[in-house]
Amino acid sequence: MRRGFNAVKFAIGGCIAVTLAATTLAAHAKEEGPIRIGWLSSLTGPLSSAAIAENMGVQFAVEQINAAGGVDGRKLELITRDTIGDPTKAVNFAKELAFSEKVSFIIGPVNSGESLATVPILTRAKVPNLIIGTVDELTDAKKYPYAFRVINTNEQWISNANRYAIETLKHDKVAIIGDTTGYGAASAKHAARLLEESGIKPVYSVLIDPNKTDVTDEVRQARDAGADVIMPWSASTGLLARILNARGNMQWDVPIVGHPALMGLPIRDLLNKPEYWDNTFAAGYVSTTYDEQGKLPPNTAKLMEEIRPKLGGTIDFTFWWVALGYDTVKIIEYAVKQANGSTDPDDIKKVLESTSNLEGVYATYTWTPEDHNGFPDSAMVLNLANTFDDGSFKVATP
Amino acid sequence: MLSVLITGLAIGALYSAAALAYNVMYSTSKVLSITTGHIFMVSSVAGAFLIGDLGLPKVVGLLGAIVIAIIFGLLTELIAIRRILARSEDHLWLLSTLALATIVQQSIGLWWGTEPRAFPRLIPQDFTAGIWDQKYWLVIGTVALVALGLDLFYRHTLFGKVFLAVAEDPFAAKARGIATDRIRAFSYGIAGFLGGLVGFAAGQLTFAYFALGLTLTLFGFIALAAGGLGSNLGAIVGGLTLGLLSTFATYFFGGEYQQTIAVGLLMLFLLIKPEGLFGNKQVRHV
Repeated sequence: MRRGFNAVKFAIGGCIAVTLAATTLAAHAKEEGPIRIGWLSSLTGPLSSAAIAENMGVQFAVEQINAAGGVDGRKLELITRDTIGDPTKAVNFAKELAFSEKVSFIIGPVNSGESLATVPILTRAKVPNLIIGTVDELTDAKKYPYAFRVINTNEQWISNANRYAIETLKHDKVAIIGDTTGYGAASAKHAARLLEESGIKPVYSVLIDPNKTDVTDEVRQARDAGADVIMPWSASTGLLARILNARGNMQWDVPIVGHPALMGLPIRDLLNKPEYWDNTFAAGYVSTTYDEQGKLPPNTAKLMEEIRPKLGGTIDFTFWWVALGYDTVKIIEYAVKQANGSTDPDDIKKVLESTSNLEGVYATYTWTPEDHNGFPDSAMVLNLANTFDDGSFKVATP
Repeated sequence: MLSVLITGLAIGALYSAAALAYNVMYSTSKVLSITTGHIFMVSSVAGAFLIGDLGLPKVVGLLGAIVIAIIFGLLTELIAIRRILARSEDHLWLLSTLALATIVQQSIGLWWGTEPRAFPRLIPQDFTAGIWDQKYWLVIGTVALVALGLDLFYRHTLFGKVFLAVAEDPFAAKARGIATDRIRAFSYGIAGFLGGLVGFAAGQLTFAYFALGLTLTLFGFIALAAGGLGSNLGAIVGGLTLGLLSTFATYFFGGEYQQTIAVGLLMLFLLIKPEGLFGNKQVRHV
């Protein structure tokens, strides 16, 4: 009987040992396969121009890393899904990438509205998520422990622009114009709140339907209210162009300071006259700003020259999108290397939370256990909106 | 305040034109096509492409935009209406026209881009003309001409009277030897002409923008519901009322209330006067 009991114990022990060994082997085998990265992009549909440029950076970084032998010998495998900018599709693809494709990382989605829907899902799935949307609520170290933001926050854009208008231009009679989309309305309110915190009450504040065909009345109301600076917070090219046209048609030479979309190239073609783009300043980046000698930061210049042949020689879109996409993949490479080849979400989290001054092209990143926003204020700058040249801009001077 | 009035009139005229296009198609087919606003969008994009991108003369751009809009109108009837009406009495045209509108909008979005693009200046004029700017008056004037032209067509031409006969009673018209199918197709061509002309005239106001169609489909419908389905006078009054109301509402209360006020107007008429201001009550004799 005693011998029989021992035999059972031995058999159970053996089974456990074999199972453990198999599990360990499986885990080891998984770590040896390619590193699978999900990329939730919106390559078609509204705002696709940003996504297409970001995709160039992502693809280029993957190709570059794989050509150099991968990350510790493991190749990167990119699985791209086109969300068309639709949050429902983004959610479905996020689930597919996390649960069916079993990716180790997810980059995106591109638009904040989509990200707001996917971040909770990816948190539950324990997939490290590199956030490239600016809405402030997308990162919260406690609520979304595996979400790390690579891009700046909306607040950084707004604070930067507010600072420029008030401290540099010395204008404090602010007219805030937002649009009626969720993003536009929230940004306009945020901008007003930040101004009021610094003791400035906007003299005029309005939300406009982004498809409204004429905004002359609103701009006239801003002028009648005594505004000496207009601050538009909208990503709608059409609305921004109409604000610039209304200001120009009224021959009201007041500065416009605001959202980066103010320096987007599509604006140029919508203006009644090219000079209507003068005296316009947009929140931008040090990485894509020429210095006094007309040179870009070395990392940007290097990436630009490496990728230029793939772009057909000319860069006719804002280059910071490419730099952002490129950096997301390089951050993954860095994290896996620092985690000794592990793609375990907790190992990656630990690495990223202890990352300080990681030098990228788009910015130099720092994440802590308390703050998952990696983009520093020092990487921001105000650009002259009408100075686009080869993907970059001139720094704003009053 | 005068500029708010002129802006409201111009936007209202555009809504009126969309409501008129609805009426023209509805009169012969009893279909409220979702593609109505898209006719205007197709025309403005075609005009911007022909003049802005290809550098063709403005007259050629105008004619090209109108021809393309007419073809789109005729194709709508052929693809999304004719077979549906032949097979079913149900409102399946709602789905077929929605499908066609979506296909056209997305295709143009893919080809033309999803950002609004500029429409060329049609008449040499400085941009500082204020309320006298052509972007307002071209659309107001064109819609006035179109409304007058439609009235003359219906009242004073034999062909117009044939239209009215088909609109009144298609079965009786058919019994009198009128080719009702052909008249229906022709009405979609006329809607194409109307939308093509006004869409081109309003191009500077709307820009050439792929998502314009759905906005005009919605606001044109609200104008029609307010003015009265089937009434051209109602379409004009409904459109102008809606345009002025939404512009003044935006001026006084901000843009966040614009849609609410427009849809509120629709609800108000549906509840209090469902036949609209100038529509006929649907009375069924038993």
